[in-house]
Amino acid sequence: MNPEKKTIREIPRGLPVVRAQDIDRSRLELSADVVVVGSGAGGAVAAYELARKGLDVLVLEAGPYVPSREMTEDFSEALETLYEDHGSQANRDGDILVLQGRCVGGSTLVNGCVSFRTPDFILREWREYFDLKEMTPENLAPYFERVERNLSISENGEHEIARHSQVIRDGARKLGWSVKPFQRNVKECALTGHCLSGCKTERKQSMLVTYLPWAAAHGARIHSDTRVTRVLEEQGRTTGVEAQVVGRDGVKVADMVVHAGRVVLAAGAVQTPVLLQKSGLGNSSGQVGRNFACHPSMYVGARYPEPIHAWRGALLGNYVDEFLHPDDGGFMLESGGLGVAEMCLITEPGTGEPYMRYMEDIRYYTGLVTLIHDQNVGEIRWKGDHKEIEYRLAERDFPAMMNALKAAVRLHLASGATEVFLPTTEHLVVRSAEEIDPVVARLENRPQHLRLVSYHPQGTCRMGSDPANSVVGPDGQCHDVRGLYITDASVIPTSTLVNPQTTIYALATWIADRMVTETA
Amino acid sequence: MSSSESPARTEAVRQAAPLSRLTRRRFLRYGLIGSAALAAAAAGSFAILRRSPVDAIPVAEGIRNLGAGEYHLFRRAIEVLLPTAGTALTPVEEVPVLANIDHMMGLLPAHVRQELGTGLALFDNAAVVSGFHGRRFVDLDDQAAVDYFDAWSRGHSIQRALNTVIKQFVYTAYWREPETWPPVEFDGPVSDDWGLDYLGNAPLPREDQA
Repeated sequence: MNPEKKTIREIPRGLPVVRAQDIDRSRLELSADVVVVGSGAGGAVAAYELARKGLDVLVLEAGPYVPSREMTEDFSEALETLYEDHGSQANRDGDILVLQGRCVGGSTLVNGCVSFRTPDFILREWREYFDLKEMTPENLAPYFERVERNLSISENGEHEIARHSQVIRDGARKLGWSVKPFQRNVKECALTGHCLSGCKTERKQSMLVTYLPWAAAHGARIHSDTRVTRVLEEQGRTTGVEAQVVGRDGVKVADMVVHAGRVVLAAGAVQTPVLLQKSGLGNSSGQVGRNFACHPSMYVGARYPEPIHAWRGALLGNYVDEFLHPDDGGFMLESGGLGVAEMCLITEPGTGEPYMRYMEDIRYYTGLVTLIHDQNVGEIRWKGDHKEIEYRLAERDFPAMMNALKAAVRLHLASGATEVFLPTTEHLVVRSAEEIDPVVARLENRPQHLRLVSYHPQGTCRMGSDPANSVVGPDGQCHDVRGLYITDASVIPTSTLVNPQTTIYALATWIADRMVTETA
Repeated sequence: MSSSESPARTEAVRQAAPLSRLTRRRFLRYGLIGSAALAAAAAGSFAILRRSPVDAIPVAEGIRNLGAGEYHLFRRAIEVLLPTAGTALTPVEEVPVLANIDHMMGLLPAHVRQELGTGLALFDNAAVVSGFHGRRFVDLDDQAAVDYFDAWSRGHSIQRALNTVIKQFVYTAYWREPETWPPVEFDGPVSDDWGLDYLGNAPLPREDQA
């Protein structure tokens, strides 16, 4: 590790990435001090923090490299190009869509920019249940401050509160509920509303325009289209990874072996445990893949008397934190817009002509996203030829989910909505406050009853001090394999309730710090 | 239903008995794949018992991922789910909905694709007994087809799943096309039209510049 030896070459535009089409051999053998698996929130931050300390870093990303100029602002196309399983990744029951980025930059490319620090009451859980004594708000503050500064995280200005968020804010104020503007990692937001399709003009401060080019400036090498298939280990210590380079047409281009004394897994909370399971590593606790949480979210749509055009303006404006603390309900409501490709699916207005009427009037609709602090009850399993996401909403979580739904409906009505569609597979509508309880009471916690989406998978290789009930220690290092670290959302011990990207950035920085210290 | 169809229907009900005995919990436990053998057996029998005139219609050129039965199911579903006639919306005939569905099918992971194929066959054939329609979904008239969808939206979990997934394929395949956007005032891509500048990469943090 010698930072003085390296020349820093700032990269003002684009990213030097080795893609499948750049490979002209059927077998590649590479070496690095550290190989980072995944280029999203956990991988990119670790790559930069390690590279700037003089380590030779190699980043391997399974997905494609899509430069900003190639982004189309077309959500259907983006799902196919930028998302895991072309946007079709779901739980085993098929009633929760689990959306994750699968591209250089990972989910940071396609998220809504919402940035929260981990709530203090969540950190308290981590300390109490997993003996993570150092995870205090005070100890983490410098890490949060660092990533907030690096990613230009700031509070939405009034111009970033679009019409869809203005009406919700007015309703919350009528109810006397606490409503606040989001903090987002965006510079000079152009208010296109296309966050989920990637920010074409590079305003979202995703990993694609921040930590990855910074890592590359410090000499990190980045390969796309490269899916790691196995983590290598000898005598309790990692020695590198095996991978395959696969073109966009699905044809394998090359096999790859990387020799590295340190491996950082940051493929996301679904793929990281799958990789460990394929490798047969890290699972003496039996916890690899278990404790999956995902913030199952509902998008509660409603019709307003005036046109809203939910696709216009900043995608996400305000949030209601009145019920954030578990003692107050343990859920959050986020006001946000959507495009037509999403609005056409979020509810069940009826079949045929009722659906046509709904879509003809879609400019009058907007919605609220619900988030809960869900239990870590799910599991990721590698089934030999495909992964399986086993997750059903826990009975313990159902009351919070229904309370969140009731609050969302109440807020819509207070905001002036004339009818609110429940996010169910059958046609259920509420038009007055008196109808809320009886209509919501008809819902059951059964598969395929609610329409749910997860944007925040987490918790499948959790961090803790006790090797008997956790996969990595407080330094992010795998209890079982020295030199093997995990820096993505897998390590989050209990679900964050709030959008987790800032938590991941901070934890990745924290872990990279400790890797550097150990190396030194 | 004509009297000549009664024996066939009786046979169909008999064939469907294993499905009706499959409790919701067992359906959920085994999932679509778990019930594939039963469903395929039942659906296969239905197909033999209930041939449809649409079976003779050739699949359009360019369709690569949909089987013939799936093609006809979606063709009928598009008519039922997207009745654009008389609305301000872009006529469904002007949008390549089936081609888009075919494309999306080709992107599914293999195990999901297999499950879905089983489910689609079930949806089509179960109409013979479900709701006592006595004919496959592809042969239901418009109102019966709407009622069939609505009944499945309130049914057991596997019915809800198929109601949802068929609708989602059809809706997505229609609304992803830019020509459907102007009637609902959806702006679509805007950055190029607005002439927005590209900001490029964020400068290195100050610690690197010192």
